Amino acid sequence: MSNMRWPSRPGDWCAVVLGGVITLLGLPMVILGADLISLGGSWYYTLCGLVVVIAGILILLGRTLGAAAYLLAWLGTAIWSFWEVGFDGWGLLPRLFGPSILAILVLFIIPTLKKRDLTRTAPNATSQSGAAF
Amino acid sequence: MRTSLFLASALSLAACTALTPLAYAQVASEHTSSIPGDTPQESGPSLNTTFNAPSPYAPQAPGVNAANLPDDPSMDPATVPTMVPQQSAAPAAEDWSAYGHDDDASRYSPLAQITPANVGQLQRAFIYHTGSKPAPGQANKWAAETTPIKVGDGLYMCSAMNDMMKLDPATGREIWRFNVGEKFQSIPYTAACKSVVYYTSSTIPEGQPCHNRIVEATLDERLISVDADTGQACKAFGFNGQINLMQGMGESVPGFVSETAPPPIVNGVIVTNQEVLDGQRRWAPSGVIRGYDAESGKFLWAWDVNRPNDHSQPAPGQHYSRGTPNSWAAMTGDNALGLVYVPTGNSAADYYSALRTPEENAVSSSIVAIDVKTGSPRWVFQTVHKDVWDYDIGSQVTKFDFPSEHGPVPALIVPTKRGQTFVLDRATGKPLLPVEERPAPAGNIPNDPRAPTQPWSTGMPRLGFPDLKESDMWGMSPIDQLFCRIKFRRARYQGEFTAPGVDKPSIEYPGYNGGSDWGSMAYDAKTGILIANWNNTPMYDQLVTRRHADKLGMRPIDSPYFNAKSGGAEGNGAQADTPYGIVVTPFWDQFTGMMCNKPPYGAITAIDMHTRKVLWQTPLGTARANGPFGLPTYLPLKIGTPNNGGPIITAGGLVFVAAATDNQIRAIDMKTGKTVWSDVLPGGGQATPMTYEYKGRQYLAIMAGGHHFMMTPVTDDLVVYALPQTAH
Repeated sequence: MSNMRWPSRPGDWCAVVLGGVITLLGLPMVILGADLISLGGSWYYTLCGLVVVIAGILILLGRTLGAAAYLLAWLGTAIWSFWEVGFDGWGLLPRLFGPSILAILVLFIIPTLKKRDLTRTAPNATSQSGAAF
Repeated sequence: MRTSLFLASALSLAACTALTPLAYAQVASEHTSSIPGDTPQESGPSLNTTFNAPSPYAPQAPGVNAANLPDDPSMDPATVPTMVPQQSAAPAAEDWSAYGHDDDASRYSPLAQITPANVGQLQRAFIYHTGSKPAPGQANKWAAETTPIKVGDGLYMCSAMNDMMKLDPATGREIWRFNVGEKFQSIPYTAACKSVVYYTSSTIPEGQPCHNRIVEATLDERLISVDADTGQACKAFGFNGQINLMQGMGESVPGFVSETAPPPIVNGVIVTNQEVLDGQRRWAPSGVIRGYDAESGKFLWAWDVNRPNDHSQPAPGQHYSRGTPNSWAAMTGDNALGLVYVPTGNSAADYYSALRTPEENAVSSSIVAIDVKTGSPRWVFQTVHKDVWDYDIGSQVTKFDFPSEHGPVPALIVPTKRGQTFVLDRATGKPLLPVEERPAPAGNIPNDPRAPTQPWSTGMPRLGFPDLKESDMWGMSPIDQLFCRIKFRRARYQGEFTAPGVDKPSIEYPGYNGGSDWGSMAYDAKTGILIANWNNTPMYDQLVTRRHADKLGMRPIDSPYFNAKSGGAEGNGAQADTPYGIVVTPFWDQFTGMMCNKPPYGAITAIDMHTRKVLWQTPLGTARANGPFGLPTYLPLKIGTPNNGGPIITAGGLVFVAAATDNQIRAIDMKTGKTVWSDVLPGGGQATPMTYEYKGRQYLAIMAGGHHFMMTPVTDDLVVYALPQTAH
C-alpha cells in the first residue's frame, strides 16, 4: 500500500467521480438484472453490470485497467444491442446513448489514469501501466 | 474541473433513475399501501367503512337536474313531422355544417385555397376566448375537445362547459352567447363539448324565430335548442328551450352522467346517448339511448338494453335498467335508412363481466344500428366480445361508399381502440371485408370466463404494432429499460386479449387509449383515401379485492367517501357492487414518466380504400414538449406522441391535424405524408380542426383547449388561421 496515492490533481478527482458514478450505475444493473433473470428475462444486464461495477471501482482507484474494462463492457453492449434490435434507431437509443457518453468520458480520463498508474509504479517501474492498453 | 461539471450534468438524469428504482412492483399488492406513481390517499373515516350503495330508486342528488326542469311528455314517433333537407345533408362548399363536416362524418372539405404550395404562409386571423377554463384553485378537469361548425354567416360553437355562441367567421367577434349556467360539480371526468348541431325546423317557416336552431346536449344532462340567429331559447322546445335528460335515470349525483358529443338529428329525431362515469359501480345509471322530437323536444322512444321490448319512459318512481353499456362517442345518423349508428361502450364496471346479462353481452363494444322510428336495433356488429379492457368505441363511424368489385356499396368505417378498423354494410351490419374470429386467452377470475374468440378485421391494415416482446422495452438508459423489462416479465401477457387478474398485473395492449379514439377518421371520397391518427400506449391493469380496494380508498362517485384521486373515468375504479376494484396505470416507468414500450406512441396513416394498402404512415408529434420527468426537451425528434383529436382532409391536398401532445397543429401533404407546415398552439390541440370559407377567404380553426389527462396546457383559445389577404 505504500504506492497508494490519494488523488491530488483536478483530473484525478474527475476520475474518482466518474468511477463512483459508473459503480453506482452498475450496481442496479447487477441487482435488478438478477431479478430479471429470475423472471426468465435477459442475462445481459447482470453480466454487463458486473463488469461495469468492477470497471467503476478500478477507475475510482485510479487504475487504467478500469477504463479498459468499461470499454470492454461498452463493446459488448454494442454487439448485444445490434443483436437484439438490429438497426432500429429507437431501440438502440436506450441501449447505446448513455453508455456511449460514459465511454467518451472514460476515454478522456485515460491519460489521468495512466499518469496515476505511473506515479503509483514510479519507484520501481516506468512502463508497466502501458500494458493495460 | 470542467470535465467533472460536464460529467455531473450529463449523468444527472441517469443517476436519478439509478437511485430510485427499488419499488418496481408497479401495481399495488397486499403489502404495499399505495400505488407507485399514482398515490391515492386513503379516505373515509375508517378502513372498515364499507360503501352501501344508495337504492337506484333513491332521489337524485340536488344539482343533477340543474335547471329544475319538469318531466318531459311523450309523443308517438309516428307523428314526427317529415324533416326538411338539412344543411349537413349537402353542405355548401364554404361550410362545415356538422361536427364531422357533414352527415357522413367525412371530415372532408372541398375547399382548395390553401395548398401544399402556400400553406407555409398561413397566419393567425384571430383568437377567440370561450371563457371556460379552470378558475384559480379549481381542479383542472378541462379538455374542451371542441370543433366549431360553420353555416352561412356564422361560426357556431360551445365552450367546454356548454355555453353556446355564434361568432363572426372573419373576425371572431361574438354575435351572441347563450349561457347555460353549468356548475363545476357537473363536470364528470372531463369538461368537454365536442360540438353543436345545426337544425332547420320542419314546421317553423323561414324568417321566424327558431326556423334555424343550434342544439346541444350538456354535461349536466340537458338538451337545449336555441335560435341560430339570435341565440334566444326556442320556447316551443321542451321547457323554455330545454329538456331534462336525467328523467328516468334513477339515483345519481352530479358528474355521474353527462353528454359531451353532439346529438345527431335523423329524420326529425334528436338521438341522445350519455357518458356514464367508468369504473364507479356495477349498478351505475343506465346507458339508455333516447329519441326526442327535434321540433318540440317531446320524448319519442328509448332503447334500454335490459328492457328490449319497452320503448317508453319509465313510470314515475321507476328507472331505466342500470349498468347497461353506455355510449359516449359521437353517433352518426342515416336519413336514407332511418338509422342512427350508435358506438357502444361497455357495461358499467368495465373490468369484471360476471354480472352482465346476455342482452348486455350482445351489444357492448359494438355498433348498434337503431331504427329512429321505433327505437329498436336493426342490426348489431360487435368489435370485442365480453369486453374487460375498456375497449369501448370512442370514434364516430364514417359513412362512405365502399368501392367493391360490384360497384359502390353504402358502408360504414368503424374505427376501434384496438386499431382494428371494420368496414360494414350500412343496411345489414355485415362486414364487407373479411373478419376472422381468432382464439383468445382464457382468464382466471372465478365464474367470469372470457369469450373463446375475438374478431379481427384482416382485410384492413392494422393501426398498431405486433404483440410486445421484452426487447421492445424502452427507457432513456439501460437502467430504466431494465426496470421496464422487469415490469414486462412480472405481468401476465398472452397477447392482445390478456384478461386482467388479481394475482398479478397484466399488460393491456393496444390499451384503452390505443388505436383510434374519439378523434375518429377522415375520408376523401374522390380519391378513396382514409386518414387515421392513432395511439400506441399500453396499459398495466390489475384487479384488486374489495378489501384491498377499500384500503386504497377506492369508492364510487355516489359514495360519501368518494375521492376523485382514487378513481375517475380513466384508470383506477372502485367497481363497487362487484368483488373487485381495478387499478390501471399506463405501462410506464412511473419515476421518469416515460412509457415502457418503444416509440412511436402515436402515428398517422393514409390508407387507399380501393386497395386497402397503406400509402404512408408516419409518427405524429415531436418530443419538443415532452420528455423524462415531464420536462420539455425542445427537440424536434419525431417520437410520435399519444394523440387525441381527429384529422381533416381538404381538396387542397392537405391533411390538418393537431392532437399530439407537442401542442402543434400541422398540415401534412396528402400525397407524401410529409409535414409541410406547423405552428405551436397556445395550448394543447386535443380537438379536431375544421375549415371554412367566408367572403372568399379560407380559414382553418382549431380549439387549443388542451387536455388535463394528457397533461397539455389548458386554455380557452380557439385559434383561427388564414392566408394573408394578398396571397390569394
